[in-house]
Amino acid sequence: MNQKVRVIIAIVIIIVLVGAVIGIEYLRGQQIAAQIDASLEPGDIPVYWNGNLRAAFSPTDIDNLPPASFQDAEEGKTQDGWLLKDVIMIYFNENQFKDDTIIKVISTSREKSVDLTWEEVANTENMVMFDLSGRGTLKLVSLLERLDVRDEWIQDVDRIEINTR
Amino acid sequence: MKTRYFSTFQLFLMTLFAVLIVVAKIALRLPLQLSGHSGVFWMAIIIVGSRVVPKIGSASLIGLLSGILASFLGLGDFGAINTLLSYTMIGVGTDLALLLLGNPENLFVAGIAGALGHFCKFLVKWAFGAITGAPVGFIALGLAKAIVGYIVFGAIGGILGGLTLIALRKAGYFKYLQEKK
Repeated sequence: MNQKVRVIIAIVIIIVLVGAVIGIEYLRGQQIAAQIDASLEPGDIPVYWNGNLRAAFSPTDIDNLPPASFQDAEEGKTQDGWLLKDVIMIYFNENQFKDDTIIKVISTSREKSVDLTWEEVANTENMVMFDLSGRGTLKLVSLLERLDVRDEWIQDVDRIEINTR
Repeated sequence: MKTRYFSTFQLFLMTLFAVLIVVAKIALRLPLQLSGHSGVFWMAIIIVGSRVVPKIGSASLIGLLSGILASFLGLGDFGAINTLLSYTMIGVGTDLALLLLGNPENLFVAGIAGALGHFCKFLVKWAFGAITGAPVGFIALGLAKAIVGYIVFGAIGGILGGLTLIALRKAGYFKYLQEKK
């Protein structure tokens, strides 16, 4: 086998692997679509207000939001993405929230969640924000003391619950 | 006496390359907010290491050693097993690519081997997510960008590694290594 053929085989392998990832991800999306609320698209993150589905945000919704970033103390990496406050404000008004309104950010697959007050989320100095992970899912990161290291972050976020009661 | 596959000197060299990967991962911060940008130095080190110890499995062993180190140092966002496997798979992928393609002193070969090796890291991260039932990634916004990032930065790293190898050969480093076996 000459070098040219070997190079072509290697390029084909890369293309097949990329195709397999996108194909499997698409099929996973179809599978999830059959299980979730009909109004949701696969990959959408639903936002529940006092137990009722009120919104779901998609990539295009958050891509237009103002960017936010900070350097995490643990590894000194720049975490960049979109503030949770800005995401919530796409669908709700600030006057619907009280300082003690609870915003629960959940990752079902990782069995992790965090309860944040609106006061914490609204304070931009806390940098409560979503960063896009390498596999295209969102992780909640922050400068808040109880959410500032990797073990405390909420990776693969798939649900947000807002509770005013 | 049975001869060992890797000599002590070669194991020593591979350990140094593994340490170099971890140190580079911690110390080097490229101001690029793109997935996979660490592949630029990562793949360069792996490609150089695979030629400095020119035996099948050298890249895998460098990957495994760097993975063990990185896991103990708590690197990575998705836990120790994910870190160990993704570091190791970079080496395994590079080994397989070089087994198919041959000498990485050919820059085109180095680039493709770098891309393939680095893409294996992405595959581990993605597969872990899929297996653990992580939500479907935002394909347009995140996944596609990440795939392109891993391939492009891996290829750039591979080419840098290839250029380093050419420079090392010109400097007579490989002749020196043959004497040190």
